Amino acid sequence: MLPPRNAGRSLAVSLTLLMSLCQTVASQAAEATPPATVPKAGQPYGSTYAPLASAPVLITGATLLTGTGERLENTPVLVAEGRIQAIGAEAQSADVRIIDATGMWLTPGIIDVHSHLGDYPAPSIDSTSDGNEMTSPNTAAVWAEHSVWPQDPQFPLALAGGVTTMQILPGSANLFGGRGVTLKNVPARTVQAMKFPGAPQSLKMACGENPKRVYGSRNQAPSTRMGNIAGFREAWIKASAYRDKRAAAIEAGNADGSNKDKPAPPDRDLALDTLAGVLDGDILVHNHCYRADEMAWMIDIAREFGYKITAFHHAVEAYKIADVLADEGICSALWADWWGSKLEMFDTVTQNVALVEQAGACSIVHSDSARGIQRLNQEAAKAMAAGRRVGMSIDEADAIGWITSNAAQALGIHGETGSIEVGKAGDLVLWDRNPFSVYARAQQVYIDGYLYYDRSDPQRQPLTDFDLGQTARGRAL
Amino acid sequence: MNKLVRFFCATTGPAGSALVAVAASALLASASFASTAIVGATVHTLNEEAPVENATILVDKGRILAVGKDLDIPAGFEKVDATGKVVTPGFIDSFTQLGLLEIDLEGSTVDTRVTTHSLDGGGLLEPYPLGPGFDVSYALNPDSTLLPVNRRDGITRAVVAPLAGNDPLAGWGALIRLTDDNILIQPKLAQFGYISAESANFTGGSRSALVQRLHGGLTAALEYRPGRYQQTPGGYTPEDLAALQRFIKSGAPLVITVHRANEIRQAVTLARDFDIPLVIHGGAEAWKVADLLAAEQVPVVVDVLNNLPISYEQLGARLDNATLLHEAGVQVLFTSGDNHNVRLLRQVAGNAVAEGMPWNAALAAITNLPAQTFGLGEGAGTLTRGAPADLVIWSGDPLELTNWAERVMIDGEWQSMESRQTRLYERYRSMAGDKPYGYR
Repeated sequence: MLPPRNAGRSLAVSLTLLMSLCQTVASQAAEATPPATVPKAGQPYGSTYAPLASAPVLITGATLLTGTGERLENTPVLVAEGRIQAIGAEAQSADVRIIDATGMWLTPGIIDVHSHLGDYPAPSIDSTSDGNEMTSPNTAAVWAEHSVWPQDPQFPLALAGGVTTMQILPGSANLFGGRGVTLKNVPARTVQAMKFPGAPQSLKMACGENPKRVYGSRNQAPSTRMGNIAGFREAWIKASAYRDKRAAAIEAGNADGSNKDKPAPPDRDLALDTLAGVLDGDILVHNHCYRADEMAWMIDIAREFGYKITAFHHAVEAYKIADVLADEGICSALWADWWGSKLEMFDTVTQNVALVEQAGACSIVHSDSARGIQRLNQEAAKAMAAGRRVGMSIDEADAIGWITSNAAQALGIHGETGSIEVGKAGDLVLWDRNPFSVYARAQQVYIDGYLYYDRSDPQRQPLTDFDLGQTARGRAL
Repeated sequence: MNKLVRFFCATTGPAGSALVAVAASALLASASFASTAIVGATVHTLNEEAPVENATILVDKGRILAVGKDLDIPAGFEKVDATGKVVTPGFIDSFTQLGLLEIDLEGSTVDTRVTTHSLDGGGLLEPYPLGPGFDVSYALNPDSTLLPVNRRDGITRAVVAPLAGNDPLAGWGALIRLTDDNILIQPKLAQFGYISAESANFTGGSRSALVQRLHGGLTAALEYRPGRYQQTPGGYTPEDLAALQRFIKSGAPLVITVHRANEIRQAVTLARDFDIPLVIHGGAEAWKVADLLAAEQVPVVVDVLNNLPISYEQLGARLDNATLLHEAGVQVLFTSGDNHNVRLLRQVAGNAVAEGMPWNAALAAITNLPAQTFGLGEGAGTLTRGAPADLVIWSGDPLELTNWAERVMIDGEWQSMESRQTRLYERYRSMAGDKPYGYR
């Protein structure tokens, strides 16, 4: 996890930080033998992503939605060496490519905190369906990144919608679905080369109907909501003991268990590694949960075992306990208007996003959909309009945060991306008009300053291996 | 004018449709027609290219009496000021299951198809031998909470289609309006079929066998004589054949859900062979056969946002499918592809415009083109004299998601803008308050 960084911190510091991260990653990758001790979460399988070199660019004339609540008219932005160097009057450089973006709008790169791209790729067939390890209610051992197919043709479609970063989560069949991963939306041969350097991993948890339906239909626990809760608590009890035993061994200088006279570390257990990582605060909890009453139970469980819930996902009833969520500092990742396929998602109101924000809690618009991820700007527009329709005062400068800075916050990467601030990564989307218009399209998408997508240049529109030679795809590409 | 429109203009309604008469009389009995004058709005009549600015719309006896500038408002008309607003006909989704389901995963609330797959975890059901004879209209639920939710966002009518069942021909669909009662406007609106890998599971796993069954079934239906028909194993029941025969004679359209270009061609051939008006629904690869569809005057119901190569039958899916079809001269209709959120129809239309479709064509795809295609009657889906007065007053451009519907009229009556969702909002909009939530 990156340390929080002030917006004004100098580029030099930022780059140094980034470089040190890269080095950490490189040294991990170079390690020939697996660590002998029980590792803390997130250490193996590091990112091999490296920003592509890009020439400095000065984007002038655009209307900026910064992601920090500001709207700046006709304000230049200078991007060099992958980072935002200057905004406004100071954004000048003699030797730089200038993009005249007069009449256009510039936003931070769009971030989706809930996606299954790559682990539920297209075409959706048994061969590629790798998102839900539906074999046990507790599969905390599995990692979504190990299922991601980097050649999923849905990645470039999301890029065309301005998505620069996304969290890929396991499905919600299980109480503990496994670890999620934050990826940069860059074409790559390996998942490691997409991994967001330094981003914390997450744990996907799920309450409600899905686990009890999947396992109840097999005459197996959980088959009820009380069974769900018991399943959570039993797992956390084991995880607490595992963590304590590990801590005692480490404290006694016996992390590798070689000294028989000192407290021994526990036998290595992948699922408990994950849960202990949560208890240690290294892994962020992203909890699929629809109903207000169930979210309240999940908050109590977190309190009982001493961990923190970062975000409730889907949370169609967040508005019923918006005050509680504000007090607890828990984000809500929400849809603008989806509802109704299950009883637990029947109480949607279109003002959910706006009401949560109004209560002072962190509101996020997420997709959980390969269609929706292509137009999160429109989802945010609908959520904004729903608030305005009942007289709430919300504008674009606020609403852009639901798909940028707030999302970055929930993924623990807000020091790096999610807003247009000096020192932040050059993750930017240039829209042909106000992105809250249904007619808006992303014209250019930058990741770490590199132009990964240009609507007017087919050479700047990536194709996956899957796309190649599929004559059926035709001009669709 | 295409085959469909010719048919519906030439006939007074589907042959022998007693249910239509029943529905229509119930409709008339319940209505208390108000006389209304809506003034000051920008009105898209769907009759002219350009909108009428600062227009007056006169509504009387459930129908549009007149639309124009500086009209005299007759005595007794309620005047509604819509200055600065935009008025369009009510929106029509050309492919939904509205009224047939409440909660997808709760089988007791779902009547969308005749299938062996139980939706509530009860395992496989006994096969029930009903294919093209299935008629969705008997289970339509006027108390569905989905209706007010979608109505308050401008949806006034919808085609209700059976989903794929145990036969490539899934049965009769209906037309409903999104009112509080008497929602059934026209049963036996169209016959619905499916050509896909999934449907081919009912014909031995081959799409070829599926197409053969469609040809065989329609042939048998033409030759069917009650009392002289011997059902063969795997053949249609007398009930299904009678329904098919009735369908062919009625001239109602056959709506086939099909995505792959090759099977779209097969559907066109089938319709030509039996002289049946055809509508393609889905059509992810329809853009590839746009010229054929234009030449054969086959309308296509498109879900614009369906651009994922989500199956091997939809590898050619693309965001500008509707645009390419429109440019080739195909009549394009839209569907939201949803039931709880049929209200997304305008987002679908807006995205079509963003992908190059003319704004007027996108609006027509959710108003007068579905009305024409499904024969909803003279003027339906437009704001012209004599048309059913289905209209929406919008805060601005209705395709912009930052605007919203302010008032909705169906058959001349203002509709409630309340829904279960607005009630929930009202209950929880403030965390403060003296009353416990249960009393709010």
